[in-house]
Amino acid sequence: MTVRRSWGRRQKAEVNCREVGKVLQSYLDNDVEEDFASKIASHLEACKDCGLEFETYRQIKTSLAGKMPEVDPAALARLRMFGQEISGDSATGN
Amino acid sequence: MLKSHELLEFIKAIGASLEVFEHAGHPMRIEFIVEKTLEGLGPPGPMKASHAGETRVSRPSFPDSDPIRRAGLVVSRPMSEPVVDEKAQKEAFDRYVVPEIEVLYRVARSITRNPTDAEDLVQDTMLRAYRAILRFDGRHPRAWLLTIMRNAQINRVRRKRPELLRDPDAAMERLADEDSADLGPEAQVIERGYDAAVEKAVDALPEKFRTVIELVDIQGLSYAEAAEIIGVPTGTVMSRLHRARTRVRKHLESSGAYVNGRPV
Repeated sequence: MTVRRSWGRRQKAEVNCREVGKVLQSYLDNDVEEDFASKIASHLEACKDCGLEFETYRQIKTSLAGKMPEVDPAALARLRMFGQEISGDSATGN
Repeated sequence: MLKSHELLEFIKAIGASLEVFEHAGHPMRIEFIVEKTLEGLGPPGPMKASHAGETRVSRPSFPDSDPIRRAGLVVSRPMSEPVVDEKAQKEAFDRYVVPEIEVLYRVARSITRNPTDAEDLVQDTMLRAYRAILRFDGRHPRAWLLTIMRNAQINRVRRKRPELLRDPDAAMERLADEDSADLGPEAQVIERGYDAAVEKAVDALPEKFRTVIELVDIQGLSYAEAAEIIGVPTGTVMSRLHRARTRVRKHLESSGAYVNGRPV
């Protein structure tokens, strides 16, 4: 699902704010083709508004990445034991 | 009656090839192929040998002029179950399923929103995966397991809500929407700061948006993996995720949260 720049604009050196706005979140997720991504990166450095917009989404994503809930170790141990029982019982013919 | 070592001597003497199919360490079926005519074997008739408990050795009792068929012995144990390579099954399970148990549990927590249901769902998924593992081609095990988990969850929803049999996808969404109205104590914890504001914004999202954010941004699944578990195309995951983040951003704007010292 990697985002590519539309064919007709490939030769164009720079990207504009509208183009960047469309793919900003895909860029955030590293889901943009490499050559297109480098043009977006240049634009974000030069354009204050787009840069701030990107920073907003980046901070949201960073905040969410830190919210991975703790997994109950006892539950995980029970599940691993269950997995061992499934394959272990079969291997011994029980 | 032939004993085991006599049987092996006999097989060796006639130059037959031997194949032993094992089940849990015990021979289930022994086949050998006679490649040359035997002399002095005598007329065809019943012949038995005890081997490995239930194994019977018998000769075809039909008269036959074909010397190969006439000499051929069939050694077999009646089988009611198909032959399964359980060693390969265990190895594949250990290789592809066991490393994903934690991810499966995390995803199950996201889609069931209940620790007990999540544990049951993962157990169900592991059992299904074990049964199917020898048919798995080894590519993208996580995506494969998430598909199994999704199907298992649909079945669980069906059992609880049989009236939703006709449209399982809609069933899952509706069920999740109902669940979202009953947030647990974890979701009600009030914190300060930007992270708390983001969490509050996510909690306020409709279920289908919240699920993609949880799967991709929190659990770290790829678009394709999230698509497997939700049962929608990858492009739909992407568009839902982007819309979800936009909603979070708007929520942050209205709540006055700040980024880098500036209001968002």
